[in-house]
Amino acid sequence: MQHLDASQFITDQHFSADVVIIGSGAGGGIAAEQLSAAGFKVLLLEEGAYYTREQFKMEERWAYPNLYQEGAARKTKDQAIGILQGRTVGGSTTVNWTTSIRTPQQTLDYWQDQFGLNFVAENDLTAYFQLAEERLNIKQWSVAPNANNAKLQYGCEQLGWQYTVIKRNVTHCANLGYCGMGCPIDAKQSMLVSTIPAALKKGATLISRLSVRKLQWQDNQILRLEAVPVDEHFQPTASLKVTISAKHYIVAAGAIGSPALLLRSKVPNPSGRLGKHTYLHPTVISGAVFAEDINGHAGAPQSIYSDQFVWPTDSKQPGYKLEVPPIHPVLMASKLIGVGDQHAQLMKSFNQLQVTIALIRDGFHPESQGGQVVLDQDQQPVLDYPITDYIWQGMRQALLSMAELQFAAGAKQILPIHHDAKLYQNWPEAKAAIEQLSMTALRQTVVSAHVMGGCNMSATADKGVVNANGRHHQLTNLSVFDGSILPTSLGANPQLTIYALVWKNCQQLIKELSHELQPV
Amino acid sequence: MDRRQFILSGIALGAASSLGIYGWNSSFDENSDNRDLVLSALLPALLYAALPEDTTMAVQVNRTKAAISDFMPYLAKRQQQELQQLFNLLANQVTQLALTGHLTAISELTMSQRWQLLANWRDSYLALLQQAYHGLRELLFAAYYGQPEHWQAINYTAPRYR
Repeated sequence: MQHLDASQFITDQHFSADVVIIGSGAGGGIAAEQLSAAGFKVLLLEEGAYYTREQFKMEERWAYPNLYQEGAARKTKDQAIGILQGRTVGGSTTVNWTTSIRTPQQTLDYWQDQFGLNFVAENDLTAYFQLAEERLNIKQWSVAPNANNAKLQYGCEQLGWQYTVIKRNVTHCANLGYCGMGCPIDAKQSMLVSTIPAALKKGATLISRLSVRKLQWQDNQILRLEAVPVDEHFQPTASLKVTISAKHYIVAAGAIGSPALLLRSKVPNPSGRLGKHTYLHPTVISGAVFAEDINGHAGAPQSIYSDQFVWPTDSKQPGYKLEVPPIHPVLMASKLIGVGDQHAQLMKSFNQLQVTIALIRDGFHPESQGGQVVLDQDQQPVLDYPITDYIWQGMRQALLSMAELQFAAGAKQILPIHHDAKLYQNWPEAKAAIEQLSMTALRQTVVSAHVMGGCNMSATADKGVVNANGRHHQLTNLSVFDGSILPTSLGANPQLTIYALVWKNCQQLIKELSHELQPV
Repeated sequence: MDRRQFILSGIALGAASSLGIYGWNSSFDENSDNRDLVLSALLPALLYAALPEDTTMAVQVNRTKAAISDFMPYLAKRQQQELQQLFNLLANQVTQLALTGHLTAISELTMSQRWQLLANWRDSYLALLQQAYHGLRELLFAAYYGQPEHWQAINYTAPRYR
């Protein structure tokens, strides 16, 4: 097995391979294993560091700067939405909360209708869901939910709302609750502990702390890529150059990183969709204070969700999915409202806080066309995501549902996470207040942990960046294998969708490459 | 920020630029003295009632300041520059008038004046000041509550499994 740390290089380097994969998250990890197993010489590149179990400290002050993009403080252009995204070997799979959900059929139907994508016959994803579930030990969580999730379940039961016990990608999970800081016992079946070690065993090489800056192309072919090491704070350096040439290039740098690389490379973009239609599942938060201890920092962070509101019959209403987040000091302190005494008092209820989140299903409506990845002065990506009235209105509905749910579950007080809100004592009071809240950027706190789109799949070249198999519509030796190929958001946490889609696309690619790479 | 203060900002920024200080387009340079001065003024206001009232307060403030300077280099360069610029403007006697509405140095303001200042930013018509409020708030709270020494007040204990 070979791992190279690019920050240790002292001179310019050149590498060559059959296939180079840029990004080691859900897409890159699956692709690395499949292609190595098929006998291709694979180079797997990652901007983050190769941290493993021994180094994971169950402390946010270590995890956020070391494992997340921009120290977990990544924001959209107007700073109205905070984005949690992994940047380490294994990508977001190393730090996600293990929720594994198959792509909703309604989403696939919408893609067929709007983008000509057909998931039947050999493109049926069922077999690939099964393969990924088997590979990553995805099973329904059989341990009792922690109190934070149990309140979501109980509220749903009280109100007669739908709820589901979550499937998780874990083996011998000790129910610690620190998934977001890297699993300290390798229980989480992230790419870090599954596909990547398997690929390395089969002869793949991993290069960490390497930032790919540009793909050089001519006519309809990529010739090589240019990369630079990153410094100890993961900032690209100008110290030396790394060039890599390969027969095929797979971009899997995530729905912000992949469009950014293709934009920097100025690849052909006749559809005009590159970097556009980026979706976030924009998420609003509702806090609740209970009389008893909830201790939301302990136990599997997500084990229950509710799809009661994901697919509303009224098409003028955005759907939203209800889940809970883990509750850790930094995550809470930075999201709770107010300053001084108000904030300190809320923090004193830390162990009695129950937190519910609502993920808006964006991208299924003319007034929900997502955001756009642009490049800043340093050629680094920024997502410009304007929030439309349609989305704001869905968020207000979501705040109402969450308040109703939390009171039904027995909350003493609830606090919508909005800068004009305060603690409300009962449902009628909360309802009246939420109906009056000004839904505007920076007044209403919005977060995201799922970035999707920007290189969308489409049957025809006029409607997207890549085809139904993730191959670029214009450049023949380029594929995009990550969440950026999704044509809309999902209405479900994305990891399993990405695993299955990439597994399918990779099998197709292996077939095509064995023809294409035949010596002439 | 009320209308009067809004106009005041314009005047102050005008004054600043006539003196060769280019408001939001200047002073990106990292200046740890400026950062220290601003953080020393804002941390006690933001963390009021969280910080202890005895001699350990200074220790906690200093620990938080160190955590902030350790963390900042991980932010996008663009964001680091914006924060640094904010520190520089707030630490500069001429330009701070525009941001605070006070001629008194930020470090000399009373606690309630500092809270008022933060509230004015939060409710400002200027997106820049709103962003400053939220950006600083998140940075400072995250740095404070990231330290295990500060968890006693919230009754949180980190798990020990190793």
